[in-house]
Amino acid sequence: MTAPFLVARNIAKRFGALTALANVDLEIRSGEVLALLGDNGAGKSTFIKILAGAHPPSDGELLIEGNAVAFSSPKDAAASGIATIFQELALSENLSIAENVFLGRELKRSIFGVPFLKRAEMRQRVDGLLQELDAHISDPEAPVGSLSGGQRQAVAICRALNLNARLVIMDEPTAALAVAETRKVLALTRRLAGRGCAVVLISHNISEVFEVADRIVVFRRGRKVAERLAAETNHEEVVSLITGAHPDVRALEKTN
Amino acid sequence: MNGRELSLLVACLVAIVVFSVASPHYATSGNAVTVLRNSVELLLIGLGMTLLLAMGGIDVSIGIVMGLAAIAIGRILGADGSPFLALVAGPAVGALLGCVTAAVVVLGRVPAIVGTLGLLGVYRTAVFALLGGQWLSGLPSNLTDLLAATVLGIPVPALVIAIAYLVVWLAVRRTPYGLHLLAIGNSEEKARLSGIPVIKVRFMTFVVSGVLTGIAATFYVATYRNVEMSVGSTSALDAIAAVILGGTSILGGRCSLLGTVLGVLLLRILQNGLLLIGVPSLWQPVVTGVLIIGVLGFEAVSNRLPLTRFQRARA
Repeated sequence: MTAPFLVARNIAKRFGALTALANVDLEIRSGEVLALLGDNGAGKSTFIKILAGAHPPSDGELLIEGNAVAFSSPKDAAASGIATIFQELALSENLSIAENVFLGRELKRSIFGVPFLKRAEMRQRVDGLLQELDAHISDPEAPVGSLSGGQRQAVAICRALNLNARLVIMDEPTAALAVAETRKVLALTRRLAGRGCAVVLISHNISEVFEVADRIVVFRRGRKVAERLAAETNHEEVVSLITGAHPDVRALEKTN
Repeated sequence: MNGRELSLLVACLVAIVVFSVASPHYATSGNAVTVLRNSVELLLIGLGMTLLLAMGGIDVSIGIVMGLAAIAIGRILGADGSPFLALVAGPAVGALLGCVTAAVVVLGRVPAIVGTLGLLGVYRTAVFALLGGQWLSGLPSNLTDLLAATVLGIPVPALVIAIAYLVVWLAVRRTPYGLHLLAIGNSEEKARLSGIPVIKVRFMTFVVSGVLTGIAATFYVATYRNVEMSVGSTSALDAIAAVILGGTSILGGRCSLLGTVLGVLLLRILQNGLLLIGVPSLWQPVVTGVLIIGVLGFEAVSNRLPLTRFQRARA
């Protein structure tokens, strides 16, 4: 087994008096799809926002390849190789695909100290990535707001790949997609892991999770309550872990 | 040139034809110069306002910012200061007040419309206090002479506007700044998640708008050689009207610099023409106000059609 890309130790997050997350220990490995499951408000979104640098943790530490990191912004997380594809897709609907893929990390050449965009080169890189992902978009200059849900998902994944992300976090990537597009995005997820990326997938769809995940972690009420290899568990057990009916979860919640 | 810009150009030409027929004083070269002359300050302020609206901001105090900068310039000229010092004073005061606005709106997180409305109240009183109820008048003509010069046959005001337009255009269409501005206008949160330095970009844009307004103040003083109590009181309304007419979205995320230029010209052509056919100047803000409401009303109706919002964004 390879050394984990990222280790989260004892992560906690409090918003005022509200504890959104407590004592989360987690390892994320390269080349592996890790699924985070849990009910609404279980703390999944808070946890990935910490990984993405959008929230600082109240407690605990993150280690990337053994080195402690502290993110004060999404840019810091990106610099450490973490890319997040948020549920609401942080794409700018008014900008084109290439502009979105490079937003915040534009290719530029300096003329008299002024950074000018290298538009042609950005466009070329994006065309290559789209082809690699087998995503067909008729007009790459169209604003992202005019694309379908699956196409936007592909743009977000392009963005992650272009950042040379080593960990890609996908928050409900298939929530708003039609069946055919869902299949494509799931295939993309496996392809990402195949390229050696670590992938963290948040989903409510358990059968989808079993299709792509290597490992499954269950959150409940701000805690991590279970961790299973996908091959060693089944649909029913995962459901009972999420709802709290599972004896392990009951025992854990009694001791707390 | 997109459909919006083209229709503005047509509107300008139609207005010119109509006014030429209606008034014998209209179609003269002297009047054409007057219209262009009257557009100088608004063009500069309008460029800044375009950037502000594009990023989902606004500044309703901008006219009084020009007023305060004009007072600074007037005081320097009145005290027999160097006209070169006066040239620096405008942009400097504009930049300073831009920082103040940015501090309130960007750092203080007060919504731009409310924050700048508050500043408008403060600045108005400042203008009154500084002028003490009296106009600055009879200013020396040295600054006027300086800016009335021509370079290679091009009048200085035209040259300054061309340079300002080019710089802003390059920044918006050819550098990352423009993408960041439009991304922020689309959604500040998404822009932040994309790693854009949102606070820096917003702060800088308010300062740039202040500097452009300070330059406008310089032309104002050079032209009129006095500063009156009501200085700049309609500039914010005019600038917002012209920018919206030009196709920049009041909600941010879309802008047209050429549209702003045409919007300013149309507004000034209408104001000048109505005056010449005998409509009292008191009615000018009515025309501006009706234009704003008309354009936004039209856009609200047409945006109900699906897809048009983003299709138009690219146009």
